[in-house]
Amino acid sequence: MVDNIPGIVENFPGGSILVTTIDSIINASRANSLWPLGFGTKCCAIEMLMATGASHQDISRFGAEVVRGSTRQADLMIVAGAIVRKMAPRVRLLYEQMAEPRYVIATGACSICGGPFQYNSYHIVHGVDEIIPVDVYVPGCPPRPEAFFWGLLALQRLIKEGESIRRPDIRRKPVMASLPQGITMDDIQGEMRRLLEEQNVVNVAESAENKIWTKRLKEWMRKPSSKP
Amino acid sequence: MDAQALLQAITGVNPAAQERPNTNVPAVQVPVAGLHAFLQVLRDDPRFSFDFLLDHTAIDWMADGKFELVYQLFSTLHGHTLMVGVLIEREQPLAPTVSDLWPIAEWQEREVYDLFGIPYDDHPDLRRLFLEDDWTGYPLRKDYQDKNMLQRPQ
Repeated sequence: MVDNIPGIVENFPGGSILVTTIDSIINASRANSLWPLGFGTKCCAIEMLMATGASHQDISRFGAEVVRGSTRQADLMIVAGAIVRKMAPRVRLLYEQMAEPRYVIATGACSICGGPFQYNSYHIVHGVDEIIPVDVYVPGCPPRPEAFFWGLLALQRLIKEGESIRRPDIRRKPVMASLPQGITMDDIQGEMRRLLEEQNVVNVAESAENKIWTKRLKEWMRKPSSKP
Repeated sequence: MDAQALLQAITGVNPAAQERPNTNVPAVQVPVAGLHAFLQVLRDDPRFSFDFLLDHTAIDWMADGKFELVYQLFSTLHGHTLMVGVLIEREQPLAPTVSDLWPIAEWQEREVYDLFGIPYDDHPDLRRLFLEDDWTGYPLRKDYQDKNMLQRPQ
């Protein structure tokens, strides 16, 4: 029923505006309130959850701070470190316990491909994407906090652009968010700050599609009434 | 007791003990026959009083066809350490348990059994410790193969 609402609403004049507005509101709030799961399996967790959460980098300024101990309250899983074969069913279980929408960032060489344990080892899962779908890969061994923020920025961009209540259950393609040369922490945080300020105001009439719909809505309003 | 005096005293107790080269702690190598009695002397003799089994593991010398059991002993009374190495056959490995001397050895021997497949005589509870119960094979053996293992390309 809920899935059919966009199809019903869009048939009415101005319904598309409503849907896209709801989309942008939902996406902005999802992207800016990512709650990560407190889940670290190896040394990447020191960079990803502790260094970025501490006061020097301070992930909390960008709406991704509230580290949850319970999977049912979290919607971002940061796979920080190698996943061994004994851990794999538990990771899958944790992922399935998380409520939709849920996002996964794989950080570091180990969770992307197995890292230094890739060859001749009996215990490693060769990349966490063998067991759960991954949205953003952040390479490094371990990645610096800058690289992680870069990946977080990529994920936020993915959420803002990619999702629509018209097409629920559509997953975006995963992206590799490797930090380009010469990007510093200040650049990333400035970009995040700019995006946050930009997203504070949801301007309905801005996108091209909305402009068309606004025009049609105005025409419809101007139409003489068919009532006698 | 310093290293030299310790090794001399041990050779007095067990004439079959030989000094083991290539270690950074005092180390001896003894035959597996009489291992339990030898370790009991090391624990109970007031000159040694090795009351703490720091670590117990094994080494796979596949080229020689041997396993080497390694006991790292520490004396909280005297503060000296000793490494005891025991060579056993790789084909039919069997070792006496020392879990009646040091209770921690029970889990350490379970770990060695789990990863090397060395069964211990008279062990009270010899089950796998880390791996799943239905795991086949012993992954720290040098010739272990697994369908999930990736071979390093040459």
